[in-house]
Amino acid sequence: MSETSAQEFLRKAAVKSADLVHRDIIRQGIESYDAAHLRGRLRFRDWDAARQKCREIKQEAINHLDKYLLQFEEKVRARGGHVFWAANAQEACQYVTDIARRLGVRTVVKSKSMVTEEIHLSPALEKLDIKVWETDLGEFIVQLRNEPPYHIVTPAMHLNRAQIADLFHEKLGERIPGNDPTKLVALARRRLRQSFFSAEMGISGANFIVADSGVIAISTNEGNGRLCTSVPRIHVVVTGIEKVLPRLEDLAVFWPVLATSGTGQAITTYSTLIGGPRQAGEADGPDEFHVVLVDNGRSRLLADAEQREVLHCIRCGACLNTCPVYRSVGGHTYGTTYQGPIGSVLTPHLAGLRQYQHLSYASSLCGACTSVCPVKIDLHHHLLHNRRNAVNSRGSKLGERMMFRLWRSTMLHPRIFVFLSSAGRRLLRLLYRMGLAGSIVDPMRAWNRYRSPVPLPAESFRSRWRKGLAG
Amino acid sequence: MPVENPSRELILERIRAGLRTPVAPHPGPRSDAVIFEPIRNPLERFQQESTANLMECTLTSDLAGAALQLGKILDSLPAGEIFLQDDPSLRRLIELTKTQRPLRWSSEGAPREASEATVSLAEALIAQTGSVLVTAECGGRGASIVAPCHIVYAHAAQLVPDLETALGNLFRSGKLVRNSFACVISGSSRTADIEKILVQGAHGPRRLAVILQTGR
Repeated sequence: MSETSAQEFLRKAAVKSADLVHRDIIRQGIESYDAAHLRGRLRFRDWDAARQKCREIKQEAINHLDKYLLQFEEKVRARGGHVFWAANAQEACQYVTDIARRLGVRTVVKSKSMVTEEIHLSPALEKLDIKVWETDLGEFIVQLRNEPPYHIVTPAMHLNRAQIADLFHEKLGERIPGNDPTKLVALARRRLRQSFFSAEMGISGANFIVADSGVIAISTNEGNGRLCTSVPRIHVVVTGIEKVLPRLEDLAVFWPVLATSGTGQAITTYSTLIGGPRQAGEADGPDEFHVVLVDNGRSRLLADAEQREVLHCIRCGACLNTCPVYRSVGGHTYGTTYQGPIGSVLTPHLAGLRQYQHLSYASSLCGACTSVCPVKIDLHHHLLHNRRNAVNSRGSKLGERMMFRLWRSTMLHPRIFVFLSSAGRRLLRLLYRMGLAGSIVDPMRAWNRYRSPVPLPAESFRSRWRKGLAG
Repeated sequence: MPVENPSRELILERIRAGLRTPVAPHPGPRSDAVIFEPIRNPLERFQQESTANLMECTLTSDLAGAALQLGKILDSLPAGEIFLQDDPSLRRLIELTKTQRPLRWSSEGAPREASEATVSLAEALIAQTGSVLVTAECGGRGASIVAPCHIVYAHAAQLVPDLETALGNLFRSGKLVRNSFACVISGSSRTADIEKILVQGAHGPRRLAVILQTGR
C-alpha cells in the first residue's frame, strides 16, 4: 500500500528533525533573518499600525475582488496586454504552452513565482521540449538539484556553501576554490546571462496586481526578474487572483512591509511596475504581454467567510521563519508548494482537505505565526478551523471517538481519574525501570522515542494539593 | 490574438457568489497612526539611505561638476560601450566629459549585452528609502539592469520625501498610462541566497552611482 501524505510527513519529519547538519544550517539562516527582521521593524515609527493598514487594504481588495480585477484587466488591455482567467492549473498551463507553441518558443527564463510552482508550469513546458531556466539564484540551485523550493522566499536555505559548490562542480563543471559565495554567484551569473539573451519568453509572478493603474508589481533583489521581463520578446505573468491592491499608493506601505517581513530590508532593490508590452517610443521591452489570473481554488476559499482573510497573504515567509515546527522539520517535509503555517492553512483549500488535513496538526498552536503576520492573518486559529472542518467532513474515527468518550467520563468522575492516573504512573515507572522507555510497549513512545523520559513525580498533584491544604 | 476565455465569467460569478456572505469586521483599531517617521531633511536622508543601500551618491553644484564626476566614473570602468538615455541634458553632459568611448543612445534601441555602463536620468529620488525612480522614458527597461554600472544624473529638485509622494506623483502625472514600465531602484543588484551572505552584482549592476546636482 502506498504511503499517505500524512505518513510521508511523519517519516520525513522524523528524519529531518534528527539531522543535526540540517538543523544547524536552518538555525543560522533563521537567526540571521531574525536579527534583520527586528532591525527592519525599528525603521517604522509604528510597526503595528503598518500591519493594521495592510490588513485593512487587503480586506477592502478581497471583499471587492471582482471590481478590482476588472479594473486591472481594462487598464492592461488598454496598453495592448492580454489577460487570461484560468479556473485551474490545467487551464493556466494550457494557455502558456499554447503561446509558447504558437510563437515557436525554445527557451524560457523564469523569475521566482510560487504560483507557477503550484500549477507545475515548468514540467508542462518541458513536455514540449522547451528549456526552462530558473533564474533566481536560490531557484536555480534547487532546479539543478531537481528539488522544489525549500522556502517561499529563500528556496535554497537548506544548503550551505560547500554543498552548493559541489553541486555547481557536478552540474556546471566548474570548481570554485574555497567555496567562495562571491565566486559562486559570479558563476551562476555567467551561466544565466546566456539564457536571458537567448530566451524568447520570460515568465514572472507578481507580488501585487494594482487595480487603479493596471500594473503588476514585482519585488526582487537580484535583478533576474528585471531581465526576464525586459529582454525576451514575450512576457507572461502568472499570478493568483488574490494578489490585487486597489491603488498604486497602497504600495507605499506594502513594499516596505513585504521587504521587512521577507528579508528585513527597508525595501527590495528592484520594486518594479509593469503594465503592458513595449509602448510606442520605448527603447525596449517585450512585444507581447500576457497576464494569467489563476483561481485554482481561491474563489472557493473566498466563499468561506470565516477563512476569507487567508487570501490576504502576501507570501513574505515570516510565519515559516518563526514557526518552531518549520524550524525543526524544514520545508520539504511538508510535501506542498506552500510550507509552514500559511501552507498548512492554505493547502487543504487549494489541494484538498482530505489529503492535507494532517497539516493542521503540524503546529504547536503557539500563535507565533499570527504574531508576525504583516497582514494580521489569524493563522493558528485557521489551523483549528481546518481541524474542525476535517472532522466535520470525514466524520471521526471509531478509535478517536472511543478515546474521547473515555477521556470525557474520566474527567467527569474523579475516582476513575485518580485510579487511571495512579495506574498509569505505576505502569510507566515499571516500564522505565525495565529500560522500555520509548519502546513499542511504551504509551509515551511518541515523546520518549527521541528524548530522555520525562521524570515521573513521586506523588500525584492531587495528593500534593491535599498535603498543602493540610499543612 | 483574441483567445476564448470561458472561465472568465465562471470565476467572476464564483467571486460574486462568494462575496454575498459578508465578513465580520476585524476587531483591531483603525490604522490612523503615523506609520513612518516624517522626513525633515530629504537630502540628508537620501544620502544616508543611499549609503546604506551601498550606492554612490555625489553632490555637485553645477553641470561642469557633474561632468567632471561622470568622467571620473567612466575612467574607472573597463573599456567598452556606454548606453545613454537619449535626452538633450545627457547629450550636453557627455559632451563635457570628452569621453572617447563608443556611445549608444536609447533612440537607437535596447542596450547591448556587452555595455559597460548606462547613463540615465530619473523621474524622482526618494529620500525615505534612498531610491531612484525610473520609468521606460529613462532609456527603456534594460537601461537600469543590463550593464554592470548604472549612473543616474539627477537634480536636487527631484527629491521627494517618501514612497507615498513618489507613487502619488507617478499616478497623477499619467506617466504609467504612457509607460509600460517603472521601477524604484534601491541599490545595486544583490543576493543573499547562499548562507545569507550578501553578494553584490547578482544579475544586474554591481554599481549604482547617483550624481546629484544641487544648483542649476
